[in-house]
Amino acid sequence: MKGMAKIGVLVLTIAFLFLFPQFAGAFPVLFLTEIIIFSLFAMSFNLLFGYTGLLSFGHAAFFGLGGYAMALLAQHYHISMIPSLFISMVVAGASAAIIGFFCIRRDEIYFAMLTLGFGMMVFTLVHQWRSLTGGSDGITGFEVPVLDLMVKKFQLFSPWSFYYFALVVCLIFTLFLWMVIHSPFGLILRSMRENAERVSFIGIDIKFYRWIAFIIAGLVAGVAGGLFAMYDRMASPSMVHWTMSAKPVLMTILGGSRVFFGPVLGALIFYLLEHTITQYTQSWMIFLGAILIPIVIFFPEGVLGTLISWGKRFMKGAGHGG
Amino acid sequence: MRRVLSGLIAAVFVAAMVIGGGEAFASKGTIKIGSVYIFSGFAATYGQFAKQGLELAVDEINKSGGVLGKKLEVYFEDSHAKPPIALRAIRKLVYEKGVDFLIGLDSSGVAKGVVPYLKELKVPLLITHAATPDVTGSQCNKYTFRVSVNINQNVMAAARIAAKTKAVKWTTIGPDYAFGHQSWEYFQKYLSKLNPRAKFMKTVAFPKIATEDYSPYITAIMAAKPDGVFISLWSGDLVNFIKQANKMGFFNQGYTVLMSLGAATEVLYALRDQMPTGVWVGTRYWFLANNSPVNKHFVEAYKARYGVYPSYNAQNAYAAVYALKAAIEKAGTTDRMAVIKALEGLKVEVPAGDIYIRPGDHQAVLNVTWGSTAEDPKYPIRILKPMVIFKGEEVTPPVWETGCKLQ
Amino acid sequence: METLLINILNGLCYGMLLFIISLGLTIIFGVMGVLNFAHGSFYMLGAYLGLWLALHLHSFWLALLVAPLLVGALGAISEIALLRPLYNRDVSFQLLLTFGVLLILDDAVKLIWGAGYHSIDAPKGLSGTVHLLGSTYPVYRLFIAIIGPVIAVVLWFFFHKTAWGKMIRAAAMDREMASAIGINVPLLFTAVFFFGTLLAGMAGVLAAPLRAVGPAMGDNIIIAAFIVVVVGGLGSFVGAFAGAIVLGLVEALGVQFVPHLQMALPYMLLALVLLVRPRGLFGSE
Repeated sequence: MKGMAKIGVLVLTIAFLFLFPQFAGAFPVLFLTEIIIFSLFAMSFNLLFGYTGLLSFGHAAFFGLGGYAMALLAQHYHISMIPSLFISMVVAGASAAIIGFFCIRRDEIYFAMLTLGFGMMVFTLVHQWRSLTGGSDGITGFEVPVLDLMVKKFQLFSPWSFYYFALVVCLIFTLFLWMVIHSPFGLILRSMRENAERVSFIGIDIKFYRWIAFIIAGLVAGVAGGLFAMYDRMASPSMVHWTMSAKPVLMTILGGSRVFFGPVLGALIFYLLEHTITQYTQSWMIFLGAILIPIVIFFPEGVLGTLISWGKRFMKGAGHGG
Repeated sequence: MRRVLSGLIAAVFVAAMVIGGGEAFASKGTIKIGSVYIFSGFAATYGQFAKQGLELAVDEINKSGGVLGKKLEVYFEDSHAKPPIALRAIRKLVYEKGVDFLIGLDSSGVAKGVVPYLKELKVPLLITHAATPDVTGSQCNKYTFRVSVNINQNVMAAARIAAKTKAVKWTTIGPDYAFGHQSWEYFQKYLSKLNPRAKFMKTVAFPKIATEDYSPYITAIMAAKPDGVFISLWSGDLVNFIKQANKMGFFNQGYTVLMSLGAATEVLYALRDQMPTGVWVGTRYWFLANNSPVNKHFVEAYKARYGVYPSYNAQNAYAAVYALKAAIEKAGTTDRMAVIKALEGLKVEVPAGDIYIRPGDHQAVLNVTWGSTAEDPKYPIRILKPMVIFKGEEVTPPVWETGCKLQ
Repeated sequence: METLLINILNGLCYGMLLFIISLGLTIIFGVMGVLNFAHGSFYMLGAYLGLWLALHLHSFWLALLVAPLLVGALGAISEIALLRPLYNRDVSFQLLLTFGVLLILDDAVKLIWGAGYHSIDAPKGLSGTVHLLGSTYPVYRLFIAIIGPVIAVVLWFFFHKTAWGKMIRAAAMDREMASAIGINVPLLFTAVFFFGTLLAGMAGVLAAPLRAVGPAMGDNIIIAAFIVVVVGGLGSFVGAFAGAIVLGLVEALGVQFVPHLQMALPYMLLALVLLVRPRGLFGSE
């Protein structure tokens, strides 16, 4: 019964996401596209934060590298969408393998600082290598690659067609992350988060598992970055800056780091708040800060996490009563 | 888990209600203009001056019956001087507010990010400040126009002034993005033609936008002992640079100093008597350069309403509204394609003088003003004495040289 | 050669500012275990308050006295109201909470003082230039390069010779022990946060005549300060001093020798130290 309801809700949500563009205008569709892409970015971050216990402050490096790979491919090689996105993913994953190799050697604050340091090194790389990356202006003026599905070719210019493409890609990688987390590998990650020492006693190489998690998170962030570069029609250094790394952190904390869909709800809340508040005032950061602080103090499990524990308590109470 | 999903669904529906509410469409009675400038950060005053100039023009036009009997309505958005944010702002203006035309853009970087996307949006944009030659050159398209002086024109004039000075060894200090690098590139190109003896030094400085401490760069340039320094910093960056350079004695070294955007009144008001005298400064409009009734009216009306003399950003925004008005009236309709046709080859008088929008690359041809800074008790800011005015045709490269292929 | 010496002076001047900021950051971390993300914003607030007070009190020196106290007071209030509930939680929560404070402070100064840049002149007597090494050099910069070590010496005496200073050092080394020997730990924490943010505010006032005062100055400096304290060793007084000088010199000399790499140098330094000496140059294991 419970499982059926779960599946029902999931199917309804996905159906809603697919039907949304049928009754919404261009702006809401673009808006939702951005939310979907950032949801994937935040979920990839949360594989490290929520499930492995590593707070990365340089995750934008992989998001940005995916974006730059995509933009460079679109500008110079004109290959179609899926191979481009695949290459973006590989570029981001390969850099995550190199950077992760060093970062996973430290934990807590030191891990956060190392990822920050490496992330900003990538930032200076794209900022200074003008001949390749366009420096601080970034790469602009390329066309969105054609989506070639063998049987049919699609142009992804319009907000609607790009929305569907981004949605399908993000759903596939969400499923991928879900499978990773619910595999035996994911179980080991979670037990490492709870007590790394105990896990190492039973002969598991903690560093190796952390490294693999780091690479997977980097791969998926690269896909999100590749999509975002297409969505924005540009790759710019701001995609790699530490302030971009802070976004998935904020979204995840808002939504809840211990719940799979927490980052998704966080991204949604983040964008809705921003959109609503900026209609009245430019100072939306004050509001974001004023919302973030009580959440950190009173709802450490995030919005979704707190809702779930309330729900559980309510169900228990109801069970006793009945 | 069930709660997770039901929460999610509820949230998505709320989202749909908030943002799916309704796409605005151009209402019959008004012409909607979307406007994007920098309203925060190192160049916030530029957005403020542009907004004032634009609102002055719109109020004047609306008071005298509008355009084709329709009132003008303007929506402003902040680009934060960042290309992705500017793109987002333009999407919002076009898709959410349903604007008919776009006016604005400070910063070459922003322009290079936004201009290619206009082909998809199919909305005409009149650029009033961003100066990179690319947007009316290699990146040019049907929807992009520029009513203001670009890098080629400004720097060509700079090179002519530089060629007349005794300076041989030249270096530069410019912002580290498209504008700074391209300004230096064109300065070298034009000056080496006019003065084959000119040498361009290896020591150059490109501090990043919104640098707080210029002292290492100032030290590096002073140590290189140049004869001439071409400075393309602008806005708050130029103000900060000049204040710090004053303290380090930079202007007492006998260099010939050229500042391509030093005569922006935003900068002159911020510095007042801290602006050194005897420095060559360029601008995209100078309020004392033209005695025409149109300019006199503009300067007086602006001063009366806002208490300061108009800057180039104010004039350019003001001029863009009048250019758009002229084009709509010439076309006899607000249809975007017809207005684009009317803008091509349009001649219109604005405070800066007569401007002509070339059909070949959509760049306006207009006079370019440079001058040497001087004190004048009649003005609270430095003014230009002597002033040099270059004819637009003399400093604008031919269309074939721009790399633009519109036809 | 002269350029090198001038650039070393530039580097020392920036390094001394960094030292005063980082010292506050490192003391707070050492004693409370909190990495204060808002520290740069307290520095920025100090600069704005200093600017504003100097304008209204007509004295830079008075502003230098009052503004840091105000910043410290605000720091103390935020410690009592916001950080106290979080001491038994994971460090990442404290990092995020102080990030929230950063967001609020950054936008608040924009609301109060506008989004543009401000600057003030150096106080009378320090506003000119001197002839130095065949070039001219601002007196105020020399003043900062000299005042930094003076402050360092004064603080060193404070930490090693006064009861409060000794208590703070004891608590930094072993929090539980400190509480066992009867130190009022909550009061000590508030005092330390007050003192740490006061130092940030003081650095802000000192920086105002040197650099452009704008809403992004906190975000720009906080990363540099993080690098200093991590490189020097979290919680280490000597480390903050050494780290600040190293970073100041790396930035100033980078412009001269490797302009293209200059931006990356601080991060390379950070990564290298973390990988080779994870607890920093002067950190205790």
